[in-house]
Order: sequence, then structure tokens, then C-alpha cells
Amino acid sequence: MIQMYHVYKTYARDVEALVDVTLHVEKGEFAFLAGPSGAGKTSLLRLIYRDEVPTSGQILVNGRNVVKLSQRHVPHLRRTIGVVFQDFKLLRDRTVYENLALVARVLGMRPAAGKRKVAQVLRLVGLSHRANAIPYKLSGGEQQRVAIARALMNDPMILLADEPTGNLDAELAADILHLLREINAKGTTVLVATHDQELVREYGRHVLMLKQGRVVEEYRDGR
Amino acid sequence: MIDRLRHAVTDAFTNLGRAGWGGLASVCTIAVAFLIVGIFLLLTQNLGAALAQWRDQYQVTVFLDDGITADQLALLKKRIANERAVRGVAFISKAEALQAFKRELKGRESLLEGLGENPIPASFQLRIRDEYQTPEALRQLAGFLTRLEGVEEVQYGQEWVDRMAAVLRVIQLIGLSVGIVLGLASLLIVSNTVRLAIYARAEEIEIMRLVGATKMTVRLPFLLEGLIQGGVGAGLALCLLLGAYRATLYQLQLAPGQIYGLGLGSFLPSGTAAALVAAGAALGGFGSLLSVSRLLRA
Repeated sequence: MIQMYHVYKTYARDVEALVDVTLHVEKGEFAFLAGPSGAGKTSLLRLIYRDEVPTSGQILVNGRNVVKLSQRHVPHLRRTIGVVFQDFKLLRDRTVYENLALVARVLGMRPAAGKRKVAQVLRLVGLSHRANAIPYKLSGGEQQRVAIARALMNDPMILLADEPTGNLDAELAADILHLLREINAKGTTVLVATHDQELVREYGRHVLMLKQGRVVEEYRDGR
Repeated sequence: MIDRLRHAVTDAFTNLGRAGWGGLASVCTIAVAFLIVGIFLLLTQNLGAALAQWRDQYQVTVFLDDGITADQLALLKKRIANERAVRGVAFISKAEALQAFKRELKGRESLLEGLGENPIPASFQLRIRDEYQTPEALRQLAGFLTRLEGVEEVQYGQEWVDRMAAVLRVIQLIGLSVGIVLGLASLLIVSNTVRLAIYARAEEIEIMRLVGATKMTVRLPFLLEGLIQGGVGAGLALCLLLGAYRATLYQLQLAPGQIYGLGLGSFLPSGTAAALVAAGAALGGFGSLLSVSRLLRA
């Protein structure tokens, strides 16, 4: 589902974010991208949803070469990917429902279909009763659920989560991980970037360890 | 498609409501800019109208020999009316001229009592076409008329025409330069205000792009909002202008059209008003689009 071949990403002034990264995440997998902050996790995720292009190397997402993707086709790629951030990135000036409805509009859904989809994803993350709340009045865990619901609006094949539990305590973090597991069980490939070793030990099945821009270790369950 | 457009317009209004003070700032800036432009337009229009009326009143008078015969008179009138510069000819007989003179003397008619014969000559009052209202053309016309049979004297206010033309040129020049400067200034201010309002929504744009919005999808709501803001701003300016105009008339205790002498006779015609609203909408939409595109490139 996600394949990288000898990917390098160098920023201005020779800051090497990623060095010779080669990795495979299979369809339907639940994978962790682990490593300390500054290891290049965020950079790697951004390459997948084509927020950036690598300095060199090739990246295939669902069989599509995203390095050669023209600007015009980037939206099509993004509609197959859901992204969740540590800081949720919810719009503060509108309700949970409106935050999700924005995506429905962007995707060109008819109002009725959009409404149904919003109701469906809210049910999935267990927040149907919070539809009319303003995001910042919700708890951190709830906010992250809203963000996940938003990422699911387009029925993504891949869900990328960048430190999804970074702002949450252990208990809420576990809740979010369970939710991501459920989503994964329904067939979505999930890639979680985290610096939280505890989380990786407990939930990791396929773990890619990143350090100073290099994949230094990779293991799957039972190996 | 229509469904989507309607949806987009509804969204635009919702977003404007959300924008609150920021959105209001854009509307107000556009309103102020258009108010200034509107005041300027209103003044130029009314000054122009007043000048046109003064010009219209301005006439060439051809005084006639007392001994002119009816045949000569008819021939003379025909020749004058055939002149290209002449728009209209009115004959004023000796009796009529005296009558008018008496009216002007109102209350002191006794001054005329000692007069045996009517001393005032008959005359033709000529109205001149606009394109001939130049000192040079009038001098030529006067020269020609003086040589005609039955004409005693030709009078025209050359000095007055010269001064008038000069004043008009100055007013037009000032108007043009003020208009250009104000137009550029308001464009700058408006685009700046709109850009600030849009930067405040950078997060929304980021999220839209993240979930796979095409550039067009991102632009459309901002374009609509800009159009609405610009149109509303210009409309607001027109309302204020109309209010101020009415208040001025009220203060002067005058009905519209009654004060041409002051150069304040009529409000902007509906076509101009519509054009101003359209220009406001275009300005808002364009400014909005420009700022979004800049954000999209970043």
C-alpha cells in the first residue's frame, strides 16, 4: 500500500530529514513509525500525502507514483488518505458537525449524503451526542476523535496519524489506539507516528524505528 | 450544478456571519472607499449639469435695425437658423423686449414714463450648439452675423465663455487626478484588508487542501464571499451617500433640482449606482481571489 525506495529528503542548508529510507507497509496493516522527535517521522508522513516531494527516491502509494504526480492530481491522492495530527487542527469557530460538513462540501457530496456521512463517522468514533458542541469545549480525547472522524469522511484507504496521542494521558491514548485498531479492522491501512515507546511495545505489530532520518530497525509480530 | 451553487452561496453567507468583525472590516473599507468615490462622482455630475445649464442659458443676441421690413426679417431669420452653430432662434419684438425690461424694473416703471417711443430694439436670441461654444467659433459667428442686412449689433459674452471653458477644464483635471489617486488608494486598502481576513482563515484552507480539495473548490467560497462583501460595501456607501444628499437638501430646505445654481441637483442615476455596486463586488471578489491564490501557492 505504501512503498518507499531509497528516499532522501534534504531541506535547505543541508538539513537531512530522511536518509535512504526504504520501507513497505502492506494493505490492511497496522504499522508504527517510532522514534524520538526530530527523527523525521513527520517529514516521512508528509511525503506520503504529497505535502512535500522527496529530494530523491521513489514513493508508491496504492500503486501510484506520488513523486511524479502532477499538482492537478494531488487532490485525488488526498481523497484516498486520511490524516490526523497531534494538535487535532479542528476549526475553533464552528461546531463538530460543521467541521465535518466542510469535508463533505470539499468532496462534493450532496447535502443529504453529507449529513448521512457525518452522522455515520460520528457514530463510529462514539460522538453522535457531541455534534453541536464547539471543539475546544470538548476534552482532548474527544477532540482527537473528532479529528479522526474528519479523516474518515472520505473513506480513506490509508489513515496517517502523526503523534495522535501526544496531547493525551495514558488512558485516553489507549482509547484512541483502540479506535484506530477498530478502523484498521474494517480494512483501512493505518500508519501511526509516535515517540511513545510504551504505546509501541503494547500495540506494535509492524514497527519501523526511525532515527536521525534512517530506518534503524524494523520488526513484525512474532519475529 | 445549480444545487451546488446554491449550497455554495448559503455557505458563503454562513462564513460571512462567522467572520464577524473581520468580515465587517472588509465591508467597511470598501464602503468608505466607495463613499469617497461616490461623493466625487456626485459632485462632478452635478457640477457638470450646472455648467451645462449655464451654457444653455448663455446666448448670442442679434439686435435688429428699427427700420427692418417683414420680408427682411423673415429672410434674416432663415439665414441665421441655417447656420450650423445655431441650435435655436427666438424672435423678441420691440414690444416684448420693453415688456421684459419693465418686469426687470419692477416697482420703478415710472422711470420709463417720459419715454415717447420704445427705445429698445427687436432682437434674435440664439442658442448655440455645444461644439461651437468656443471663443473662436463664437467670434467667427458674430463676425458673420454683423455683416448681414438688417443687423445693427451682435452681442455675446466672450469673456464669460473663455472663463467658463477654463474653469471647466480645471474642474475636469482636478476630478480626474483625484479620481485616479483615490481609486488606487482604495484598491490597495481593500486588497490589504481582504488579505488579512483570509490569512485569519489559513487553517481552514489548509484543512480543505488536506482532505483533497481542488484549488477551484478552495477558491469558490472565498470568491463568493468577496463578491458579496464588495457588493454590500458599495451598496452601503450608496445608502450613506443618498442619506447625506437628502440631509443636505433638507438642511437647505430645497427640493431636488431646485438648486442647480449650487451644483447639487440630482442623485446618481440608477445605471451609475448599479455600476458602482458591480465594481464593489468585482473589487471584493478580485481581492479575495488574489489573496487565496497567494496562500495556495505558499
